[in-house]
Amino acid sequence: MSTTAEIISRCQTLFEDLTFSYAREWKAAMPGRSVVGYMPFYVPRELIHAAGGLPLGILGGGDQLEVIHGDAYYQSYICRIPRSTIELGVMGRLDFVDAMLFPSICDVIRNLSGMWKIMFPKVKSRYFDVPQNYQDNVGGEFYINELKELRDMLAEIRGTDVTDEEIRGSIKLFNENRRLVREVYAARMKQPWQVPSSEIYLLMRAGMILAVEEHNRLLGDYLAAVAAEDRPRRDNARVLVTGAFCEQPPLNLIKSIELAGCYIVDDDFMLVNRWERSDVAIDGDPLQNLASAYLHNSGNTSAKYEPDQAKKGLYLVDAVKRSAAEGVIFAAPSFCDPALLERPMLQSVLAAHGIPYIGFKYAENSGQMQPIREQAGTFADSIKLWSDQ
Amino acid sequence: MTITAGIDVGTGAIKAVLFNVEGDKANWLVRRTERVRQRDPFQLAEQIYDEILEEAGLKRADVAYVATTGEGEALDFHTGHFYSMTTHGRGALYLDPESRAALDVGALHGRAIRLDGRGKVLSYKMTSQCASGSGQFLENISRYLGIAHDEIGMLSKQADNPEKVSGICAVLAETDVINMVSRGISAPNILKGIHSSMADRLARLLKSIGTVDGVVLMTGGLALDEGLVAAMQEAMVKEKVSYPVRCHPDSIYAGAIGAALWGAYRHDKLERLGGTLAAA
Repeated sequence: MSTTAEIISRCQTLFEDLTFSYAREWKAAMPGRSVVGYMPFYVPRELIHAAGGLPLGILGGGDQLEVIHGDAYYQSYICRIPRSTIELGVMGRLDFVDAMLFPSICDVIRNLSGMWKIMFPKVKSRYFDVPQNYQDNVGGEFYINELKELRDMLAEIRGTDVTDEEIRGSIKLFNENRRLVREVYAARMKQPWQVPSSEIYLLMRAGMILAVEEHNRLLGDYLAAVAAEDRPRRDNARVLVTGAFCEQPPLNLIKSIELAGCYIVDDDFMLVNRWERSDVAIDGDPLQNLASAYLHNSGNTSAKYEPDQAKKGLYLVDAVKRSAAEGVIFAAPSFCDPALLERPMLQSVLAAHGIPYIGFKYAENSGQMQPIREQAGTFADSIKLWSDQ
Repeated sequence: MTITAGIDVGTGAIKAVLFNVEGDKANWLVRRTERVRQRDPFQLAEQIYDEILEEAGLKRADVAYVATTGEGEALDFHTGHFYSMTTHGRGALYLDPESRAALDVGALHGRAIRLDGRGKVLSYKMTSQCASGSGQFLENISRYLGIAHDEIGMLSKQADNPEKVSGICAVLAETDVINMVSRGISAPNILKGIHSSMADRLARLLKSIGTVDGVVLMTGGLALDEGLVAAMQEAMVKEKVSYPVRCHPDSIYAGAIGAALWGAYRHDKLERLGGTLAAA
């Protein structure tokens, strides 16, 4: 049986590989295979898998990529993920990718979809629109059409139709993936000292790259390895980290929060891994089932429209209660409209419920962690010493 | 009876203490300071911890809570970590119950911390990242001047015509000192100039945290530097700040004391909540 250290070491290698050699090798291993890149926060990966493709999460260049070309395409007040994604494209690091999906998270990413079409005309690029209305006969109908268009695009890449049976098979595999992901998160929520967030992060990042079958095995192995190890428990504060659903924080930021005396017991990194909160139905029309799961059984984030103002931010209060978090850390990328414009509203909801919070900004290449450690550490101190006084 | 340990891993020195806490009474069992002197600070901290345990006739298992502060969060045997402002504030209150602010002057930073009577931090400011105005800078200068660390305070107090150095940039300050040496300025006047420059900066830092309703206790390694303490008194007068600045013979232990006492508090609280964390 592999140890956690061995499993995480493999995940770290995948995380650091900005040439995406795993995906390249996966594609080259069998003729007719395709790789479909997607950006945060959500795409229906089941359709890509059903069409014989590898869904490849593109989450920017992280802190190891020097952005030279990418800066020429954006103003200084735009976040870093589109710059580093362009850098990856221009430098040929994504030259094996057959299609790119740009979910409707913000204007910057929407515009990137158009730029990608112009810059890389041989790549099928699609702005993937998700519904802002949650009624089945309005948003549901719209979304099913969106899914059909995506399915047809993927069929065109493969050269044959994508059948309902294939989609059902993929939903089944991703249901298993989501079940395992939920199990990992539940284990951390219960015993965060046993399941450090820096490890979970790498494990989930591996899910952005690996084929789902392989990621499922990896998740199972990790859960078994964690159960076999005994790690020291510290007197840390339990915190929920929110706002990091698109441009990802540097791994050192997550480590710094933990080192500063916080156990991260819930987060919104890589929401795509657990967007549907329980199994997607398998029987019946698979597109209808995916749409229904999105409308009625999906997670929450600032990038998802909340039609009922009275419910605004309550998902965060629920998440705090569910995870027994003692405070919330708002960690969002600089210039992230969805996260930062929503932040004051979310903070006022937390304040109304007596939940302590702090907030800071980062970029995917932030290097100076001392201020983060100081903020997170003093926040942990205040929770541990003064939360009930 | 709760035995707790406080370990303050500083840039220049490791400070470790053991306390026996019973209700409101905290009895100091052992204390130890050791300068790092280019050794691995974490190995040294563990070694010191084991030595003070031996001195107290205790084993690791007897300690209910090992609390770290400073850079000690990386020590793998700690139970909990508290940040420097939290621990220095609590330590200042222990050493001088009239303290309502701590002025922590260590090897790398200066911190002004305003407290209430329970040790809760009300406001806080620290010097920027430049080494100017830090203990490490002072130590470097004394080495250039060929003066032993322990002589700095005494020599500074002998100054009759001190020359000010840059209080903003360590590089400029070092250049100032080199110029002073070449101009034949005496070591006491150079040292007093540095102390005055540091004290001016610290007094401004103190003013920036708001009105202190009580005593300011100097903590950290430089609280033992009588030259700096004297310069601090002068700077407070110059800045028209009326609250008294004091130091304590054990000021250097304030961070470790605060960590140990907060550790005891947390141990007690966790026990009341139905669980404890076994010390490593």
